[in-house]
Amino acid sequence: MDEKKPDKVPNWKRDFPIQKKKATHVSRREFAKYLGLFSGTLALGNGAIVIKSLYFPEEELKGEHFVCNQADVPVGEMFQFEVAGTTVVPYILIHLEDNEWRAFEQKCTHLACAVRYRADIEKIECPCHKGYFNPRTGDVLQGPPPRPLPQLAVVVKDGQIYVKAKDQEKFI
Amino acid sequence: MSNYRRSQNQAHPNKTNALMTGILVLLILFVSIQIWFLFGALNNALRENFNFALTTFIGSSILAVASFWLLRYLPDPIDSPDNEL
Ligand code: FES
Repeated sequence: MDEKKPDKVPNWKRDFPIQKKKATHVSRREFAKYLGLFSGTLALGNGAIVIKSLYFPEEELKGEHFVCNQADVPVGEMFQFEVAGTTVVPYILIHLEDNEWRAFEQKCTHLACAVRYRADIEKIECPCHKGYFNPRTGDVLQGPPPRPLPQLAVVVKDGQIYVKAKDQEKFI
Repeated sequence: MSNYRRSQNQAHPNKTNALMTGILVLLILFVSIQIWFLFGALNNALRENFNFALTTFIGSSILAVASFWLLRYLPDPIDSPDNEL
């Protein structure tokens, strides 16, 4: 190892070797060390995710929130609204046929573009990279989004529309 | 010291090269697997999948320790005082 014998060549000089052979040899060592460092960083990043989900779980929406009157949104239309929690999250409310209502987060799960409901093809569309979601379940039908859209439960009371947190089936 | 190391190096001049390449390939493999884990964990943690996050963390840590341990076997630099060619 380097430390075994006192080296007569100072460190700065060893960083700029004269022979090309030496230079390439040293840089490969360094590359390997950087890979090791990177590997450690990735492990730390993974640990950060664990800590995040252990100690800072996402808060569920509490209570019911008034959105709008039923008469305001005709069939096949969508309505944008916001729910102010710890952060303000934009949502869309969709009026499907058979008097069914759905509420989804408006942020696309791919790169957070705003999605919109297209009644003509009966899909939720993300215009950025042509991602499509099922308007009933929020599942990805096509395109790059990796996860389904987060959904809220919709409650209709006396012609008024409320949203509340959906009981989530947890993934195993 | 004996001249064993020196004669070895003379007889097999490519040995450190092969060792270096092997270590680099292994390191890149480990890092790739870790990136894959991290990517999966990010996507799954957002679905509140805790087990996935924990499993990938353990796997990633093992790979990181393996990477550090591999660095022990890096061949000495050619200009190290031990390796007069
Ligand atoms: S941001 Fe929606 S598909 Fe890319």
